[in-house]
Amino acid sequence: MNFDLDDQQRDLASAAGDFLASSTSLADVRAALDAAATDIAVRPGRDQLLSSGFATITLPEEVDGGGGTVLDLAVVAEQAGRVLAGPSLITYARAAVLLAGDTDRLRALAAGEMKVAVVDGDGPVLDALGAEQFLALRDGRIVIGGGTVDLPDPIDPTRGLGRVTLGDVEVVDGSGDGADAQARWDRALQIGRVILAAESLGAAARSVEIGVAYAKERQAFGRAIGSYQAVKHALVDAYVAVEELRSLVWWSAWAADNAPDELPMASASAKGVAAMASQLAAETLIQVHGGIGFTWEHDAHLYWRRAKVDRFLLGDDVAAFDEVARLAMAGAAS
Amino acid sequence: MDFDDTPEEASWRSTVRSIIADNREALGRRGAGRGYDDPAARDRQALLYDNGLVGVTWSKEAGGQGGTPMQQAIVDQELSRAEVPGLVNLIGIGMCGPTVIAHGSESQKERYLKRLLRADDLWCQLFSEPGSGSDLAALRTKAVRTDDGTWRISGQKVWTTLAHVSDYGILLTRTDPDVAKHRGLTMFVVDMKAPGVSVRSLRQMSGGSDFNEVFFDDVEISDDERLGDVGNGWGVALTTLMAERMSLGGGGTDIGVGVGAVADHVAARIADLPDDRAAVTRQQFGRAYAESLAIRYTGYRQLSAISRGEMPGPEASAGKLAGTRVARDLADLSVRLLDDDAVFARDSGGDSTWQDSQASLPGLAIAGGTNEVLRNVIGERVLGLPAEPRADKNVPFRETIAVATGGSESAAKGATV
Repeated sequence: MNFDLDDQQRDLASAAGDFLASSTSLADVRAALDAAATDIAVRPGRDQLLSSGFATITLPEEVDGGGGTVLDLAVVAEQAGRVLAGPSLITYARAAVLLAGDTDRLRALAAGEMKVAVVDGDGPVLDALGAEQFLALRDGRIVIGGGTVDLPDPIDPTRGLGRVTLGDVEVVDGSGDGADAQARWDRALQIGRVILAAESLGAAARSVEIGVAYAKERQAFGRAIGSYQAVKHALVDAYVAVEELRSLVWWSAWAADNAPDELPMASASAKGVAAMASQLAAETLIQVHGGIGFTWEHDAHLYWRRAKVDRFLLGDDVAAFDEVARLAMAGAAS
Repeated sequence: MDFDDTPEEASWRSTVRSIIADNREALGRRGAGRGYDDPAARDRQALLYDNGLVGVTWSKEAGGQGGTPMQQAIVDQELSRAEVPGLVNLIGIGMCGPTVIAHGSESQKERYLKRLLRADDLWCQLFSEPGSGSDLAALRTKAVRTDDGTWRISGQKVWTTLAHVSDYGILLTRTDPDVAKHRGLTMFVVDMKAPGVSVRSLRQMSGGSDFNEVFFDDVEISDDERLGDVGNGWGVALTTLMAERMSLGGGGTDIGVGVGAVADHVAARIADLPDDRAAVTRQQFGRAYAESLAIRYTGYRQLSAISRGEMPGPEASAGKLAGTRVARDLADLSVRLLDDDAVFARDSGGDSTWQDSQASLPGLAIAGGTNEVLRNVIGERVLGLPAEPRADKNVPFRETIAVATGGSESAAKGATV
């Protein structure tokens, strides 16, 4: 039994953390909130994520990708979540699966010549901001093409959320049709949920850290508020939720790489628990700060926004738990 | 990252499996009653011991196998997989034995340890009292040394699991009320059949009786039965509590309610529910199931640490906090699925499985350290939050009693210290 990150993955996390901390900040996030929807610049942005190599970890080496695993990408995504980085690694992870075998497009993706987003039904599109090509499942086929993007005011300005109307599309080379395409679409969605859960893990863990640091400093009634059980226990509950989520993120990422039979259950569990844990952590962060916690100036609401929006991306928590239940009752691999 | 056995682990696992297979009939199957009073339960444990599957991590001198924590975890997994009934002497093995190993004399080790592992003797842990549960060091049971060196014990313990069937117990007493509460304690091994020891079973809300009140009325204990130094009882008790964490911290087992059994129960009932109730049921079950998977894989992270030779830290308690909540959710859901039968102690088929599981759960949030105390431990030791101020810190125990009872001189004298 060796259910833990290895030294290489820890080094990767550390390098990604350094890069992201130097290329984005919560001040940038707040500035984006104050900007008009069309002027938002998410940080670190597509170009920097690509040049760092982090966005293309799961792309094959032949197309200038990193040839790495989903677990490697999840390790980086956790770091991205800590600083609310955008655009999301989810988009790159899904595109890598949907475009598999289409060497030209994969190479264009890795080179930054093709800026993509993935469209789920009629729902909000993650990273629609700045995207020029859209991947979708239409009539049982995986397609790609241009579209028109509408950018309403986003609750979370780091997600580049918009509504997309697809224009002319063509079928992605080698993506198959019917069952093949659906299976590929499903796998891409499941891996997207894994990376989403990893980002939530980072954001939630960071929320707990900020809350703990404040609870050690802030005095009330003559002592640090973190010494009061009411405050201490709230932070511990959030910490426990974060650690439970961490286990599901690692398992689901491992399953994506090693155990396809376990991926549906693992990714749905991770997605649902991520929605709960990140919301709990963000709301606890606000509560621990009292009145300051819900001011515009404090960072807490930036994490709260991320949690509130993430809950609804790639299917909400109700849908995820419904799927877990159906799989469990069917005696699925877990 | 992988979930595979190392070659050594795989080889040990196959050894364990073949031992279980060779003794399949004699080991019995889970579900045939609780078995504390059943001589067959002791026989089963002796059989497991004689085949090297009990006390795996204990040294050979202590009667064990000199194995690794991971080998013990594999034994636990395989016994569970084969549905072998649990060991009858769990508190003895998990907590009392490790305490004797750490603090006992050579003759105590010789006398007790092997018999404990074989379930020739059953053991209990006499710590909590009516006035000191979570605040363990506030206990009042007193031990006074007589002129000939023997000790006389008087006082009362409570919530003592298995005291009614135990042969021996480890007993934490107050030997000096004039120093701060943690410093005046001393630990003993007590013969539960000694004159002056009386045990009264407490009935739990579930109707069952696993724990007891134990009364000590001038019980004599020889100084040979002291565990550790006089006044170092708190240090000895910490060994016990660390061992408890270790024995509870092994990963990947269900707490309270088996999630697989609930899945079968939901699957059997859900087809008869109207769509709206079915949808809500799936959502609630899916959430609890996903959380139970989170707990399982968190347990695997701990097992991985154990496999590397590390000891579980205070964060191991996180599994209990999450587990008690999920167990409650699962039990609640299971009972609700009984529909009208839910309000009867037994359903129409005479089955009380789900009702019973529900009634055992409030106890889980209290036993083995209340969840509030565990949150304090995690908050202070893992998150580094400041400790709750303690009014009795560095105050002689006798004075803390005076405060608690109104501060009068007479109250202090009347206390059982």
